[in-house]
Amino acid sequence: MKRIWAITMMTICLLAATEAFAASAMEVMKNSQAAFLYQGKDFKVRVLMRLVSRDGRERIREMTMLRINTGEAGGDQKYFIYFFKPADVKDMTFMVHKYPARDDDRWIFVPAINMVRRIAAQDKRSSFVGSDFTYEDVSGRDIEDDAHELLREESSNGRDCFVVKSTPRAGDADYLHRLSWIDKTTFLPVKEEYYDQKGELYRLFTAEEIKEVDGLPTITRRMMKNLQSGHATEVTYTRVEYNIGIEDALFSERFMRQPPKKWTE
Amino acid sequence: MRKFSLVEFSVDHPRLVVALAVIVTLLFMTQFPKITTDTNPKNMLPATSDVRVSNDEVEKTFGLYEDTIVLGIVNEKGILNRTTLGRIQRITNEVVRIKGVAARDVAGFTTIDNVTAEGDTLRVAPLMAKVPEGAAGIERLRKTLHENHLFVDRIISKDDTTTAIYVPLEKDANGKEIADRIREIVKFEQGEERYHVAGDPVARDTFGAEMFKLMGIFSPIAGMIMFAVSFFMFRSLFLSASIMAPAMMIIICSMGLLIGLGFPVHIMSSMAPVFLMAIATDSIHIFNEFYFRFHEKHDKKAAILETMRAVGKPLIYTDITTAVGFASLMLANIIPVKVFGFGVAFGTMLLLLLSFCLIPALLTFIRVDKVERLTAAEETATSKTSRFLMILGRVGVRRPGATILTGVVLVLLAVLGVSRIHVNNNMVEWFKAGSDIRGADQALNAALGGTSLAYVVAQAQEDDFMKSPEAMRYLEGLQRHLEKLPMVGKTFSVVDYVKRINRVLHDDDPAFDAVPETKEMIGQYIFLFSMSAKPSDLDNVVDYPFRKANIWVQMKTWDVQATRDLIKAMDEYALAHPMPITLKPAGTAYFNLVWNDEVLWDMVKGFLAALVMVFVILIFNFRSVKWAMVSYVPLLFTILLLYGVIGFMGKDFDMPISVLSCLSLGMAVDFAIHFVSRLQLRRAETGGAEPLADSLVWTAARPGKGILRNAILFAAAFSVMIFAPLTPYVTVGAFIVSMMLLSAVMTIIYLPALIILLQNWLFKEV
Repeated sequence: MKRIWAITMMTICLLAATEAFAASAMEVMKNSQAAFLYQGKDFKVRVLMRLVSRDGRERIREMTMLRINTGEAGGDQKYFIYFFKPADVKDMTFMVHKYPARDDDRWIFVPAINMVRRIAAQDKRSSFVGSDFTYEDVSGRDIEDDAHELLREESSNGRDCFVVKSTPRAGDADYLHRLSWIDKTTFLPVKEEYYDQKGELYRLFTAEEIKEVDGLPTITRRMMKNLQSGHATEVTYTRVEYNIGIEDALFSERFMRQPPKKWTE
Repeated sequence: MRKFSLVEFSVDHPRLVVALAVIVTLLFMTQFPKITTDTNPKNMLPATSDVRVSNDEVEKTFGLYEDTIVLGIVNEKGILNRTTLGRIQRITNEVVRIKGVAARDVAGFTTIDNVTAEGDTLRVAPLMAKVPEGAAGIERLRKTLHENHLFVDRIISKDDTTTAIYVPLEKDANGKEIADRIREIVKFEQGEERYHVAGDPVARDTFGAEMFKLMGIFSPIAGMIMFAVSFFMFRSLFLSASIMAPAMMIIICSMGLLIGLGFPVHIMSSMAPVFLMAIATDSIHIFNEFYFRFHEKHDKKAAILETMRAVGKPLIYTDITTAVGFASLMLANIIPVKVFGFGVAFGTMLLLLLSFCLIPALLTFIRVDKVERLTAAEETATSKTSRFLMILGRVGVRRPGATILTGVVLVLLAVLGVSRIHVNNNMVEWFKAGSDIRGADQALNAALGGTSLAYVVAQAQEDDFMKSPEAMRYLEGLQRHLEKLPMVGKTFSVVDYVKRINRVLHDDDPAFDAVPETKEMIGQYIFLFSMSAKPSDLDNVVDYPFRKANIWVQMKTWDVQATRDLIKAMDEYALAHPMPITLKPAGTAYFNLVWNDEVLWDMVKGFLAALVMVFVILIFNFRSVKWAMVSYVPLLFTILLLYGVIGFMGKDFDMPISVLSCLSLGMAVDFAIHFVSRLQLRRAETGGAEPLADSLVWTAARPGKGILRNAILFAAAFSVMIFAPLTPYVTVGAFIVSMMLLSAVMTIIYLPALIILLQNWLFKEV
């Protein structure tokens, strides 16, 4: 009788612990999302992307990226991208209105034919401008799309981290699950590992450089490596600015055709 | 005289010789556990060869895969229905999980990128992420498929009955294993669909694996047939075993040597045992002569010694010529061919040694009373075979003019046939007409653009040139030009993506299905495409700096001739349209062409070398250029006739046949050497008292019987190959069987006729 009692107690404790772990995993991911993708009211940055093939050949993308949050962390956002490089796409602009619960709206301006087009966005897992980052990697994946599980706490690259395993609830993602190392103090992801349908590690994200800008910790250099193709993309942020008063009106078709210089430079 | 002392030593100490032979064989056998195998025919060209290096380069530049398997799915009622589409989706999901499959670049309905316009929205997304609901959804899919040039003939046939999933393989993945796994996956799907697994890696790796298996089956069968036929000839189990023992020994030692030296057993060297077994039949001349001698002398030891004296010299020379024929392969550039040549040449020389020690030693164990009974029938005058051979011999002796004239006519016909020989190679046709692999290939080639893939790489002199409208129009023109070739089923390039975007941006207006006017437009369209498409879509068709472009060419046949025509058309176009762009072929189909030409040329080189060497050896043997020339005639005659027949049959001069030509030389000359040597010996023995015609008839009847026995045994061993499921084996089997029988008949009919006609010239000094 005593033994049954003991086992019951233990089971309850275990269940409670698991529950707490799950809750805290969700908590960790929410904090991380806020720190990683929703920092500040608005945000401006010059982005340099280096797309490097296995044998070291390079493609360059250079752009200015603007973002405003229209709601709380985890809520709606607007992105505006102005391209400088490659040279023949100069003046091209790209705009995203991001809604967590449904498909984003995307527009592209093609200067050579002076035309703005909407781009369908149902596939968030497709490559962003030919890089190893997907659209979701750039603007964030809905937290509710995955089941999160706190695996352990460990140090990575000298930072104390939570290790969270996120498994897509629907089978439509290109990966089976991913592991994230979330810095306990900044809540920035310092490393992410993506496992493919065969259960093999195939994509690796690393935060290469973290700097404080206006008191906000920001990943200023990051890397995404495809371990199967050997292709990698390095993204460097320069001229990072937060809370500079970007107006909502900028995120419109009219400004896509003629964006004000002060916001693109 | 040393060789005679070796024979005497062996006859005096037979147990010691046998024991030594067993020990040596066991020593070579100890190497067997070290065996490694390499069944990939591609490795016949080293990784450092030009074509492999340049193909690797192209693959790297454009992120391509060396090998792609094509899985065809056919539904006669049309594949555009929910059931079949559901199967396509399930199968694709399973296929990407197979180890060795480059999952990220599998191209099929659910993975291939499609560019469409819906209202004012541009969409770049997988063609079919979910199976469409309802008739309207299906109809939309049908429309999408057929209005996109990139899909028709690639993933959908014009009549909607066939689709394909293109499954690229990671480097060093085994095509056969993956093909087998795909076959297991589709087996789960029951229904009215039919599935075809095709593509070069399937054919190549299946061939490699099958070839290996076949050798494991055919070598023992050939051995058993030889055993049975020799038993039928000599009616003695012991004698049959004595013929087989040296054969087994040289096989074990040669294979042991190759393995011991660290060479992997390649598809080429896996054929060595059957060849060695056939070569070992040369020792039959010893047994043949022994029967006659014993019948005359009734003294076992004396019969052995006399036999060896009579057949010793021709044996030495026949084995040397055979060895030279194979050793000529060592001149080849291709390592596995060299190894094969070396192994067989070594085995042949070992056989020569055994003929002078092991075989005489074995003969001493034979029971006298048994031989007495058996040899009773061996009388040149009474034996049926001998009488038949005498008749054959007399044809040449009595009517030399007519015989030779017939020969000349035959040679002229043969030359005509040879001139019709068509150099070609087609690996898929190495499988028989009814086989799965060939059936799959035919079905897919009939329905879609083709399973054989080549690339045409265009290289400009400056970066970004490929984005210019001139370059785009040049590539487009080249595609249309190549598509005029009957065997080119489909081509696609970066131009097709650009044209597609142009059209989609302009409200799907077909008038805009064309190359845009400015470089900016092209650059921005490509960028727009790359904003959403899989990176590999673009990587596969242009390099990073847009200096090079890659045109994919799907061909409906694996004939290397098709690739040759493609290259010709490519050069024509380059000549007619001057532009600072150079064009180069690449891809599997191009590799096959180079591989074929390289192997073929190596064989021709070996053939020419062997032709000269054999002649030189004949001069040495007979110490006379004239006799060497005469003995050369049956060889040339046989080879000419065989190739003449091949020419008339319209059979391609392909890789297997080119390998054979080399080997045939050293073997086909053997009979002439035996014949002429024994004739000369007979003339010497009878001291010129016997008329030449009688000596010739005697030679035809007695050593001739050995020749016929040798030919039959040899042919019997190889005849098993005619029943092989792979056509190159059938070819090899049929070729060797006819060569042996033909050269035996040539020797017995034409040599007497020639010698009679030329007797004044031949015997002038005698």
